[in-house]
Amino acid sequence: MTLSLGFFYIAAAFVIFGGLGVVLTRNIIYAAFALLISMVGIAGIFLLAFAEFLALVQLLIYGGAVVIVVLFALMLTRIEDFRNLSDNKQWPLAGVIALCLFAVLAASAIFSPVPTFDREGVGISELGETLFTYWAVPFEVASLVLLVALIGAVVLVRRSDHNEEVQEEGQE
Amino acid sequence: MNLGHIVGAEFAWLIPGLCLTAFVITLVFGKFLPGRGSYISIAAILGAFLLFCSVFLDFVSNGLTPVSVDIQWIYIGDLGITWGFQVDRISVVMLGLVTLISLIVQVYSVGYMDGEPRFGWYFTLQALFAAAMLVLVLADNLLFLYIAWELVGLGSYLLIGFWYERRSASEAAKKAFITTRIGDVGLLIGIILLFKATGTFHISSIIHAANSGGISENTLICASLLIFLGAMGKSAQFPFHVWLPDAMEGPTPVSALIHAATMVVAGVYLVARMLPLFEMAPGVLPTVAVVGLFTFLFAGSIALVMTDIKRVLAYSTVSHLGLMMISLGAAGLAAAMIHLVAHGVSKALLFLGAGNVMHGMNNETNCLNMGGLQKKMPITAYSFMIGALSLAGIAPLAGFFSKDEILLAVFHKMGPIFLTLTLIGVFLSSLYMARLFLIVFRGNYRTERAKKAEESPAIMTVPIVVLAIFAVTLGAVVIPIANYQGLGTFIDASHHFRMLSWLTVMSSLIAICGMAVGWLYYGTSRLSPEKMSLRLGAFYRVIINKYYVDEIYQWVIDNLILAFSKFLAVFDRVVVNDTGIDGAGMSVLLSAIKVRLIHTGRLYNYSTAMVFGLLTVAIFWWFI
Amino acid sequence: MIELLHFQVLASALFCLGVYGVLARKSAVLILMSIELMLNAVNINLVGYAAFRGFEEHHRSLGHVLVVFVITIAAAELALAIAIILRLYRNRGSVNVDNIELLKG
Repeated sequence: MTLSLGFFYIAAAFVIFGGLGVVLTRNIIYAAFALLISMVGIAGIFLLAFAEFLALVQLLIYGGAVVIVVLFALMLTRIEDFRNLSDNKQWPLAGVIALCLFAVLAASAIFSPVPTFDREGVGISELGETLFTYWAVPFEVASLVLLVALIGAVVLVRRSDHNEEVQEEGQE
Repeated sequence: MNLGHIVGAEFAWLIPGLCLTAFVITLVFGKFLPGRGSYISIAAILGAFLLFCSVFLDFVSNGLTPVSVDIQWIYIGDLGITWGFQVDRISVVMLGLVTLISLIVQVYSVGYMDGEPRFGWYFTLQALFAAAMLVLVLADNLLFLYIAWELVGLGSYLLIGFWYERRSASEAAKKAFITTRIGDVGLLIGIILLFKATGTFHISSIIHAANSGGISENTLICASLLIFLGAMGKSAQFPFHVWLPDAMEGPTPVSALIHAATMVVAGVYLVARMLPLFEMAPGVLPTVAVVGLFTFLFAGSIALVMTDIKRVLAYSTVSHLGLMMISLGAAGLAAAMIHLVAHGVSKALLFLGAGNVMHGMNNETNCLNMGGLQKKMPITAYSFMIGALSLAGIAPLAGFFSKDEILLAVFHKMGPIFLTLTLIGVFLSSLYMARLFLIVFRGNYRTERAKKAEESPAIMTVPIVVLAIFAVTLGAVVIPIANYQGLGTFIDASHHFRMLSWLTVMSSLIAICGMAVGWLYYGTSRLSPEKMSLRLGAFYRVIINKYYVDEIYQWVIDNLILAFSKFLAVFDRVVVNDTGIDGAGMSVLLSAIKVRLIHTGRLYNYSTAMVFGLLTVAIFWWFI
Repeated sequence: MIELLHFQVLASALFCLGVYGVLARKSAVLILMSIELMLNAVNINLVGYAAFRGFEEHHRSLGHVLVVFVITIAAAELALAIAIILRLYRNRGSVNVDNIELLKG
């Protein structure tokens, strides 16, 4: 048991328990915060894989933007009773399937080992260089995707007179 | 003197053609024609009769060689189906009989059906029937004959049910059609069997093939018996006789034409045509003779106790058809045909006379309400007497010679027991004829209506007189004179006219005995029929109920046939329709209703399915 | 010693948690959060491979690049998903997926 393995287990605990929180809790606000914890844990994992830049990005984007956006969504949709949200009718079946999936994936990972080298990371400069030269086109496309998402989101939630009436009715 | 060249025998197809044309014309234009179509129809049948005379002369002058004309109709592969018309010895005899009796009956009908609202339709049907019967007589292949056979049955159905407003008439028509239909199935199967064995429908070809051994014996026996079945249906042999008495619901001229002289002898004619085939199949001819004998005695006994004048004549017809079958069974082709002609003329005469009686008695048919009519309608009475004597077989009328020929054939072929039974039938025949005549025409008036009866108009009495003259003179035609060898040899070249003196004497004595007994019972009061019926008791009851044959049939229909039909109906509805046909469609519908529920519309259900699919792929990928 | 196996197992565990969340949660927003979990599981896996496998010249940073793109796309998708949920809420008054069953039958 080396130090890094210990740290790994701690970070993994954050991740897993955060995930459990997201999927199991009855209080939806707790779920949002569990998500945050999970993200932080994942950032820790990234650090252990020598992906510092990615850990940073993870914290910024997920921990910062994503969770906030989710909270906003929760707020805007006024969950009827966000303290006591039950699960679906089919949660046992979902549990079974999820467990089966986990079993298959884990088993395949254990029983088909991939030849590995020593653990090493990739520096930021190298990442940046590759990203802007070799992967330039996908990069530009990704930015385009972001643009489209931005505009699309704005268009989707834009109110017109027709929607206003419906929302009035919905609130009654 | 070659009158025959006016119209040669090869134009024999014109004879039915004329009647068919008359049928079509009266069918379409009947209402607008003078006489509502009756003139057209009578003109056609008169033309047919004259054509027959010409054809006959031509046939004779050509040395009695058969003439046939074939008109191609359709081809099916190698098989060509033709409309074939053949004029030969027996068909020319039938041709004359049918045209003559049709003519006389149609003329008579003008008077009898006077005042009938559907007058024109009656003559349309008469034309149809004449055309169909003439085609049947002339047909030279079995398929064509079968078509004409069915058409004749149709004409009979329409004419029996002519007054269809009467329930009994429509029931009788239905009964006739269905009963003959049962026989017709046999006929059709027989025809098909022969076709399968020889590859042709042509009668001469079939007989030729059978002669040269081309048909197996089993096929011959089966086909012959089946064809005889068809003949049994049409010619009202036991057990298919039940339709003929009920067919008396139709107009009396119809009874005279169809159910005495022409349609019912179609069966006899068919057997006569196929007789070479029947002779080659062992056991068939004795069967024919036995059926005929049974019918002869059976129907004769019933005719003895019937009180409806037309029923007596109907059962007498059945009985004499049995006699014709006996003759055919004894391979006496000439004798059967002679009796066919003689009986046809005499029975038509009797029926038309009965029609006169009914006309004068306001459609009364129960002869116990008549009596003493000889004084009121002398012409009818004397003609009726001639017909009755002819049928009983008193010399020198036509019936005597024909009966004699039959007895001769029976004696030579069938042995003494058969002969004795036939003679008993002869006795019965003359007994019931005497009874009928005496009850109706002699004695005292039994009712007021009888006192007021009058003779019918000339248009109805002249035809009867003509028939009576024929009945008297036809006998002479049978006897050979000079070069003419007699009607018998004309019909069947192998026949020789002979008279076995002891047989002739004995049969005449028996006939006269029958007359005498009838006279004793019904003419004078020496013996009382009522006392006789009381003495016979139960036996009498059985006979007067026609041996309960109708009741047996009705029981069979109700309990066996209708029960089976109900079962089939249920089976068809439940198994075939609901399960088979609807089931196939419904199974799709029902399964769709169940399967449809997969689309819950809920996101998580769909997601579950996706993950499940992923799982399955992962497992397969890992294992395979 | 940290092995690739650890990363892989962790990633599959998190992924399966995400799957369970997607299948079992009633609120649309919660389902969205579970999807984020799944995407992050993928990221862990990629990073693990990037750390333990050797690649030649241009592909040395392939794993990281892919993670960058995944994060980008996840963010974009998140935005649009939220927009849809808001629209849905406006039309129907609730985001309970049990009630979104117009395609039923």
